[in-house]
Amino acid sequence: MEHSFASPSGHPQPHQRHFNPYSENGGTILAIAGANFSVIAGDTRQSEGYSIQTRYAPKVFRLTDKAVLATNGFAADGNMFVKKVRQRLEWYRHAHSKDMPIRAIARLIQTMLYARRFFPYYVYNILGGIEEDGSGAVYSFDPVGSYEREACRAAGAAQSLVQPFLDNQIYFKNQTPAHGTSHPAHLPLDHVLELVIDSFTSATERHIEVGDGLEIYVVLAKGSTPQVLDRWQGVTEMTTTQDGERMFVIRRNLKRD
Amino acid sequence: MFLTRSEYDRGVNTFSPEGRLFQVEYAMEAIKLGSTTVGIRTPHGVVLAVEKRVHSPLLESASIEKIMEIDTHLGCAMSGLTADARTIIDHARVTAQNHSFTYDEKIKVESVAQAVCDLALRFGESVHDEEAMMSRPFGVALLIAGNDELGPQLYHTDPSGTSMRYDAKAIGSGSEAAQSELQDKWHKQMTLQEAQILTLRVLKQVMEEKLDQHNVQVAQVHSVYSHPFVHCLTASQVTAEKGFEILDETSLKGVIELM
Amino acid sequence: MDHFPTNWGRPRNDTIDPYGTYPIHQRPKDAFSTGIQRTQHPIVTGTSVLAIKFKDGVMMAADNLASYGSLARFRDIQRLHPVGDNTVIGAGGDMSDFQYLQSILDELMVDEFCASDGHTLGPAEVHNYLSELMYARRSKMDPLWNSLLVGGFKDGKRFLAYVDLLGTTYASSTLATGYGAYIAQPLLRRAVEGNEDTLTKEEARKILEQSMQVLFYRDARSIDQFQIATVTAAGVHISEARKLETSWSFAEGIRGYGAQTQ
Repeated sequence: MEHSFASPSGHPQPHQRHFNPYSENGGTILAIAGANFSVIAGDTRQSEGYSIQTRYAPKVFRLTDKAVLATNGFAADGNMFVKKVRQRLEWYRHAHSKDMPIRAIARLIQTMLYARRFFPYYVYNILGGIEEDGSGAVYSFDPVGSYEREACRAAGAAQSLVQPFLDNQIYFKNQTPAHGTSHPAHLPLDHVLELVIDSFTSATERHIEVGDGLEIYVVLAKGSTPQVLDRWQGVTEMTTTQDGERMFVIRRNLKRD
Repeated sequence: MFLTRSEYDRGVNTFSPEGRLFQVEYAMEAIKLGSTTVGIRTPHGVVLAVEKRVHSPLLESASIEKIMEIDTHLGCAMSGLTADARTIIDHARVTAQNHSFTYDEKIKVESVAQAVCDLALRFGESVHDEEAMMSRPFGVALLIAGNDELGPQLYHTDPSGTSMRYDAKAIGSGSEAAQSELQDKWHKQMTLQEAQILTLRVLKQVMEEKLDQHNVQVAQVHSVYSHPFVHCLTASQVTAEKGFEILDETSLKGVIELM
Repeated sequence: MDHFPTNWGRPRNDTIDPYGTYPIHQRPKDAFSTGIQRTQHPIVTGTSVLAIKFKDGVMMAADNLASYGSLARFRDIQRLHPVGDNTVIGAGGDMSDFQYLQSILDELMVDEFCASDGHTLGPAEVHNYLSELMYARRSKMDPLWNSLLVGGFKDGKRFLAYVDLLGTTYASSTLATGYGAYIAQPLLRRAVEGNEDTLTKEEARKILEQSMQVLFYRDARSIDQFQIATVTAAGVHISEARKLETSWSFAEGIRGYGAQTQ
């Protein structure tokens, strides 16, 4: 509806209601890097305000054999961004006859986000995977392309609940090691998976936008053994190549209330 | 209506009935008039060497530049209309910079060769509603030497937009004799020093003047994984990253003395 | 010189080779070059659309009203539209934008038919096409002001998904737009979730009819006349407009809202 307002000059001027091209679709994502693996997870609820739009809308996407992108914020932007990244990865593969290394994907994502500096993709991205040297990597981004390689990162609706927990459990913040011992630089895979699941069940309890389902992607470096995963249920292998990195998805239900 | 044979060399984009593009072929001829340029790949790196024709004693030979850096890990040597190479190298440099800006990694040598070839075919008439970029094919061929994740590589590009990888390649006026000499002398396990000496010996055979540090230019790019003792140069002449380097006259003199 | 090969354009024989199949990366054009565009707002609007999956396909319902603000302006507008033999779309929001979408989709189906290559667009393709279109328009700050449901059945698979003016998409076994998202969606979820593979056509119709009735009681922009679209292996079927059975006798007993004296 149009309204008229008196301008400072005294003449009434038409006031156009503004179209807001953004929305916020809730949910939370999280990634943790290990010595030779990377874990990238996200819940599957998509919501707007107090309404659950769907109980299953994936926020974590496999990009290459060794890179996974989790995206959170405005879902339409997120899906479009993933689509564009995938397009650029394919063009790169054609132009340079190799898969893009994760470090290059990280820089590409920065340039793509920053190119839209004045009409940003309203999306927080976390990129996880295996670096060229075989180490587990996590890169986190803000909507306009600031990025950093980290050991762990949570983003989205429950970031403020999950990140402090991760700081404590991964970086051992506010913990003092027992006398004569030290904190490990990297945690083993099954420990990391426990932390991820605990993070999401807790976030589901305390945040209305988190819940329904959980998808955890696990990327293992070349030559590392996936035996640890035998003890876990609901594991699907997504590896497509032999003798390369291996990729798995673990799916869990979260509370639907 | 058929055109007479000689009329097929007018349009740069007109095939002759035998399926030839005369202007492109003529451009290749321009390279055969150029000074001889040699490149050799070894497991330890790539060497480029080029003859500088010093037609006058008053000419400052140091101002002749026939080897140029494209990025820290690769460069090229040229033969033919060297002025044309400026456009190409400018494009190659920007492409390489753009790649490292966008992907935070060094561009592959093959990709640079491909970028050069993309440009090489942009001659001819107008594009859609735009102005034509170039009126004629480039009259220059390049030897592109570089080192990337696939190791040291040598590429040859020509005005037809073709790029091919070589173990050793000669282009320019003396290329036929030089190429057969390379075929005889090249072997798989050459050291970088042996390669340097071979390029100069090959040049020496085809040059009219006596070869010295003023009338040749030599460049090399090291393989990152090469063993330290293969370097014949003093430490100060090897960059920390062991990237592409054009030898200065003192170190060039050192190599010539080893011949 | 421009060093981006993708900005060099194509050789001129492109005019006789119109297939732009090679993916060329386009650098974004200057966002400010086209000047200011006016945002728009909906004028003549439709309210909720409901849809559910059932045993043999997908069923969708929408009433026949197009409102002009609070005025019930057009009372026999069809808001369900078939697209080909396997798809139906239902629209809430601006009806002129919806009619524009109908004409685009009709044209698309004609083009597809004329190709006669044995390939037809199914519901998933139509939904993807619409989501690209809606997202592109919102990115131009010139949105098509609709919430759309796309339902269908093709190659033995049910399809049901949503797309709106922002380009937001999602899929679910029950969907509702507008007020239906608040009022009908909980009812649909209780009736359908977990029963998608056993619900019969009759049961599905009953669920939608009851939900439409609740909406008519509660949504001031609704009307008691609606249509149901059914998509199964047999194709798309859109029913005649039918009246809702409603009873307002309970209103007699309500106390506390108005000017009752006791």
